[in-house]
Amino acid sequence: MITLTHFLVVSACIFCIGLYAVLSKRNAIMILVGIELMINAAVLNLVAFGRYDKVNYGGQVFALFAIVLAAAAVAVGLAIILNVYRKYKTINPDNITDLRD
Amino acid sequence: MRDVALHLSDTLDHILASIPLFQPEFALIAAFLLSIGATLFTDRLWKQSSFFIAIIGYIISFVSLLPQLHQPASAFFGMLLIDDFSVFARGIILFALLISTIFIQQHFKGKIFQKNLGDVYTVLLTAGLGLNLLTITTNWLLAFIAIETVSISSYILVGYFSEHKKQSEAAMKYVLFGSVCAAVMLYGLSLLYGFTGNLDFVSAAHLQGLTAAPQVMTSIALLFVFTGIGFKLSFVPFHAWAPDVYEGAPTPVTAFLSTVPKVGAIVLLARITQAWASSLFYFGELTILFLTVVAIVTMLAGNLIALRQQNVKRMMAYSSIGHTGFLLMAVLVAPSGNPSILLFYLSGYVLMNLAAFAFIDSLEQKTGATTLESYSGLGKRMPIVFTCFTFIGISLIGLPPTAGFVGKLLVFTSVFEGYQSSGDLPYLLLLITGALTSVISLFYYFKIPLYAFLRDSQSDQNSNMPIRLIIAIGIVLTALVLGIGIFPDFLLGLFK
Repeated sequence: MITLTHFLVVSACIFCIGLYAVLSKRNAIMILVGIELMINAAVLNLVAFGRYDKVNYGGQVFALFAIVLAAAAVAVGLAIILNVYRKYKTINPDNITDLRD
Repeated sequence: MRDVALHLSDTLDHILASIPLFQPEFALIAAFLLSIGATLFTDRLWKQSSFFIAIIGYIISFVSLLPQLHQPASAFFGMLLIDDFSVFARGIILFALLISTIFIQQHFKGKIFQKNLGDVYTVLLTAGLGLNLLTITTNWLLAFIAIETVSISSYILVGYFSEHKKQSEAAMKYVLFGSVCAAVMLYGLSLLYGFTGNLDFVSAAHLQGLTAAPQVMTSIALLFVFTGIGFKLSFVPFHAWAPDVYEGAPTPVTAFLSTVPKVGAIVLLARITQAWASSLFYFGELTILFLTVVAIVTMLAGNLIALRQQNVKRMMAYSSIGHTGFLLMAVLVAPSGNPSILLFYLSGYVLMNLAAFAFIDSLEQKTGATTLESYSGLGKRMPIVFTCFTFIGISLIGLPPTAGFVGKLLVFTSVFEGYQSSGDLPYLLLLITGALTSVISLFYYFKIPLYAFLRDSQSDQNSNMPIRLIIAIGIVLTALVLGIGIFPDFLLGLFK
C-alpha cells in the first residue's frame, strides 16, 4: 500500500538530490538539471496533496502551471548558457568570474 | 442535469462580471500581442512602431486603472483582489515601466544591432503584466505565476543583447540563481498547500491549517517561500545576484530591475504580513521576527559593502539592497498603520532610482565613465547633470528637502510609535540600525559630488553635453523628488 508518506519521502529525496546538484556546481547544465529535479519534487508533492482536495483541484492545476513555467525558464536558461559558451568557451560557473567585488 | 446547468450559468455570469475589472491587464496583453506583430511586420517600415505600441499600452492601462480607485472589489472567484493599495502600486509600476521603456529606446537609438530591438519592448510588457498580477492577488498560484513571469522576462532583458562578455555572465548568474530560488519557493508552496488544502493565503482555512501543522514543518515551508520573495526583493541572504546583474546588464535594464520588480514583490510581502501578523498564531510572530532580522541585516550589509565600491552601478546595487531593508521596515509597520507610508516610500524610491540611472546612463554614453574615479572633474563640464545627481544622492541618503527624507521620516515615526505602544526590543533595534545606516550611506553617496566637483580630471577633452531626452527626464524626476520633498501632503493625501 503506497500512502501519502511514501510520496512525501520520495519527493524530499528528489529535492535533496536536486539541491546537491545545484550546490556542487561543476557545470551550468547540471545546475539546470538540479533545478528541474527540485521543481519536479514540488510537482510530485502538489499532485500527491491534490488527491485530498477534491473540490478545487488546486494542487493539480498548480502542478500543470509549474510544469509549464519550468519549461519556459529552462528554455531561457539554455539559450543564455549557450550564449555564455560562445563568449567564454566554458560553462563552469567557477571559471566565469569577470563580475565580482 | 439542470443543477449543473444552473451552476454553470452562475459561473459564467461571475466570470463575465469579473472581466471589466481585469481591464488594465487586458490593455497590457493587447499591447503585448500587437507589439509582437509590430516587431515582425511593421518595424521594417517604421522602426519605432513597437516602441509606440508599448507606450500607448501603458497609457491605456493607466487610464483604465483610474475607475478602480476607491472601488474595492474581488474578481474571478477571489483570485483577484482589487483595492486602493493595488491601484496605487500598479500606477507606480506603470509609470516606472513607461520611463524605463523610454530609457531603453534612448539608450539604443544610435547603435546598430543584429537583433531586433522591438522584442525588448514586448518582453517589458510581459514583465508589466506579471507585476500587475503580483499586486492584485492573494492566491499562491497566481502569485507564483506572476513571480515567474517577471523573472523570466527579466532574464531575457538582461541576456538579450549580450554585447560583451559581462552581459552574458550576468544573465547566466541571474537565471541560475533565480531558477533555484523559484524552485525552492515552489517546494515551500507545495508544503503549504499540503498543510492547508487551500491556496489563498488570507483565507481562514489557510491560517487554521498552518496553525494545526507541526511547527518545524511550517517554519521550513515559510522559509522556503520567503526564499522566492527574497530573491525578487534581493534582501540578505538572497542578494548575491544583485551587484553582478546590475553591473553587467545594460544600464536602462538595470534601471528597470532596481525599481519595478521591487514594487510588485513588496506589495505581495505586505499583503502576506498583513494577513499573518494580525492573526494570533505563532507563525505571525515568526514572520515578524524573520522580517525584523532580515531588515536589520539587509540594511547593514547593503550600506557597509556599498562603501568600498568603485563602480557606480555596483554601488547603486548595494544602495538598493540597503533601501530594501528600509522597505521591509516599512512593511513591518504597515499593518498597524496604513499602506500610505509604504506607498510614499516606494514612489520616492522609484523616482530617485530612475533619476540616478538616467544620469548614470547618459554619463556612460557620453564619456564612457562607469567608475567613481572616472567622474573626476566632470562636474565643471556638466554642471546641471551633476547638480541634479547630487540632489538625488541627498534624497537617497534621506536628507531634507527631498522625497527620500520625508519617506524615511514617516517610516521612522511609525516604527517609533510602534516602539512606544508595545515597548518591543526589535522596534528599537530597527530604529537604531535605520539611523546608523542612513549616516553610513552619506559617505558613499557624497563620493559622487566629491569626485565630480572637487577632484581634477586627468584628461582635458572638451565635450559639452547637449540636453538630450534622457537627461531632461532625469531633471524632471529630480524636480519631482524635490517637489514631493517640499510638499509631501499632496502625495500623502492622494494615498490616504
